[in-house]
Amino acid sequence: MAVNQTCKGCSADVWVTEAQIQKLLAGMEGKGFSFVSETVYQTRLAVCRTCPSLVYGTTCSHCGCLVEVSGKLAGKKCPHPAGSKWEKAEQASASAKS
Amino acid sequence: MNTTITVNADQSTGTISRHIYGHFAEHLGRCIYEGIWVGEDSPIPNTRGIRNDVLEALRNLSIPVLRWPGGCFADEYHWKDGIGPREQRKRMVNTHWGGVVENNHFGTHEFLDLCELLGTEPYICGNVGSGTVQEMQEWVEYMTFDGESPMADWRKANGREKPWKLKYFGVGNENWGCGGNMRPAYYADEYRRFQTYVRNYGENRVYKIAGGANSDDYNWTETLMREAGGYMDGLSLHNYTVPGGFEVKRPATGFDEAEWFETMQLALRMDELITRHKAIMDQHDPKKRVGLIVDEWGTWFQVEPGTNPGFLYQQNSLRDALVAGLHFHVFHRHCDRVHMANIAQTVNVLQAMILTEGAEMLLTPTYHVFEMFKVHQDAEALSLHLDTGDYTLGDESIPQISASASKRADGTLDISLCNLDPNREAAVSLQLRGLAGIPEVSGRVLTHNDMNAHNTFSQPETVKPQAFEGVRSVSADGLSAVLPPASVVVLTLLS
Repeated sequence: MAVNQTCKGCSADVWVTEAQIQKLLAGMEGKGFSFVSETVYQTRLAVCRTCPSLVYGTTCSHCGCLVEVSGKLAGKKCPHPAGSKWEKAEQASASAKS
Repeated sequence: MNTTITVNADQSTGTISRHIYGHFAEHLGRCIYEGIWVGEDSPIPNTRGIRNDVLEALRNLSIPVLRWPGGCFADEYHWKDGIGPREQRKRMVNTHWGGVVENNHFGTHEFLDLCELLGTEPYICGNVGSGTVQEMQEWVEYMTFDGESPMADWRKANGREKPWKLKYFGVGNENWGCGGNMRPAYYADEYRRFQTYVRNYGENRVYKIAGGANSDDYNWTETLMREAGGYMDGLSLHNYTVPGGFEVKRPATGFDEAEWFETMQLALRMDELITRHKAIMDQHDPKKRVGLIVDEWGTWFQVEPGTNPGFLYQQNSLRDALVAGLHFHVFHRHCDRVHMANIAQTVNVLQAMILTEGAEMLLTPTYHVFEMFKVHQDAEALSLHLDTGDYTLGDESIPQISASASKRADGTLDISLCNLDPNREAAVSLQLRGLAGIPEVSGRVLTHNDMNAHNTFSQPETVKPQAFEGVRSVSADGLSAVLPPASVVVLTLLS
C-alpha cells in the first residue's frame, strides 16, 4: 500500500530521549561554543528539574529549549517570565560558599 | 543587464484582497501557548490572558484574517473541550504534533477575543477527520446563532451574550493526509455532507472552504471542483518552501549561496502551482466564483539546535523576507482567483512574524515584509511588464528581480521590488504610464550585507527596514533606482 510520503507532522516528537540529548551535546564539542562551568551547569539543571515550566522532562516551556543543552551554554539565560531562576540559584550558591 | 519595469497606472488587473495578507495560528509548539496566550495570571503584561507585546506588534500589521486552530490539529480538535471554566477543561494529547499536552485554556472564546482585539476576521477550521457533522453544526450554532437555542444558550452561560460574526469556515484540513488520509472522491462526498450543516444563522453568512490540494496534486483539485465545486466558496492549497525536502530539512541560518538559490527557486514555484490549479478551476468555474485559498505557505527548516524538535521553532533570516516578498508578488498576479493566503505560522513556529522567549519578543525579517507590504491590501493590482536579467548560479538561472505595483483608493501608487541576487545590486528603470505629473517618491528597504542576517534576542534589530536612498532620478516618465543585493524595497509614489 502506498504510504503518504508528504506527511509533515508525524516525525515531529516532543519526547526527546537521553540518547538524543547526549548526541546533541557531543555535537557541540569543539564548535566554538562557550560553556559554563560544571558547577554552574549542575546548579542550572537542578533549578530546571524542579521548575513547573519544565515539560516532557526535557523542555523549558518558555523558550522551547532542551534544558540539558541550553543550561550548558554561557550565553543562555533562564527565560522565566517572573525573572531568571538560574541567576537567583547561582547567586545563592555563590553566597553560600563565601 | 539593467532591469526595465513598465507600470500601467491606469490598467487594473483586479483587487488585491487584503486577505492575501492573512495569518495562521495552530496549537503547535509555542505558537498559541507562550507566543500568544500566557494566561491572566502571568507576570507578562496581558489582556485577558493574551500578551500585550504580541498584540501590539500584530496590530501594526493590520492582520486581515487569522486561521485557527489548525492545521493538522483541527482534525483532532473537539471544540467543546475548550469552553467553560478553564480549570475544568479537558486535557488532551495533540498527537499530530508529537504528543504535546493540550490544556484547552485557549479555546473558542479566547480565539474570538483575540480576533476582536486585533480587529481581524476569524477563519475557523472545523474537524472532519475525527469529528462529527453534529459537532461541526453545533460549533457554528454556538458562535453565530442570535436567539434561543441549546448552543446559543450555552454560549451566553459562558459569558458571551451576543453572537460573533464568523465568515470563514474550513471544512477539514489536509484531508489527503493528517485530516483522514482520504481519497479525493471520498473527501468530496464528505465535504458535501459536512458543509450541508454549516448553517447560516440570522444575518451571518459563512464562506465555506473545502480542504484542497497538497502542492502539485492536480487530481485533487480536479476531483473536488468536479464533484463538489458547487457547494464551496473557496478551495484551499498548501505548499511549503522546504529546501532539501521534508526528509532532509536544512538549517534556517548558516546556509550558503546554493541553499539561498534553491530556496528562491522553490518560492517561485508557487506561481506554477497557482497557474495550474487555476487552470483546472477555470474549467469548472469560469466565472471565478470559487476562491483559491492558500491557507498554508512559508519556509520550513530544521528546528533551532537545542530546541524541542516537536515545537518546529526555527530562526527567520533575510532569506525568509525574500521568500515572503516573492509569494506576495505571485499572489498579487493571481488576485483574480487567490482570495486569501495564510502564512504558517504567526508566532514561534516555522516562518513566524514574531519570536518569543519568556517575556522577551523580537520581530523577524518576515514581519517587516508584511508591515512594508500592507499598503497593497485591498489596492488595485496594476498591469506591469518586467524585463530583467537573470540571477545565475552554476548552470541554473532565475529572474534577478521580482516586482508588483498597486494603486490605493486615494491614487497613491506602491511598487514593491525584490532583488534575489545576494551578490549584485540591480539598476532599475521604472517607466510609468497613465500618471500625470512628476510623482513624489519615498521608499523603504529591507536588506543586509550578510544574506544569513537575522534578529536575535541580544540583537533584535539586525534586520529592519531603513529609508531607501537608492532612487537616482525622477521625472514625469518614471524613475531610476539601484536596489542593493538581497533586498526588498517598497516605493510609494504620490502624484
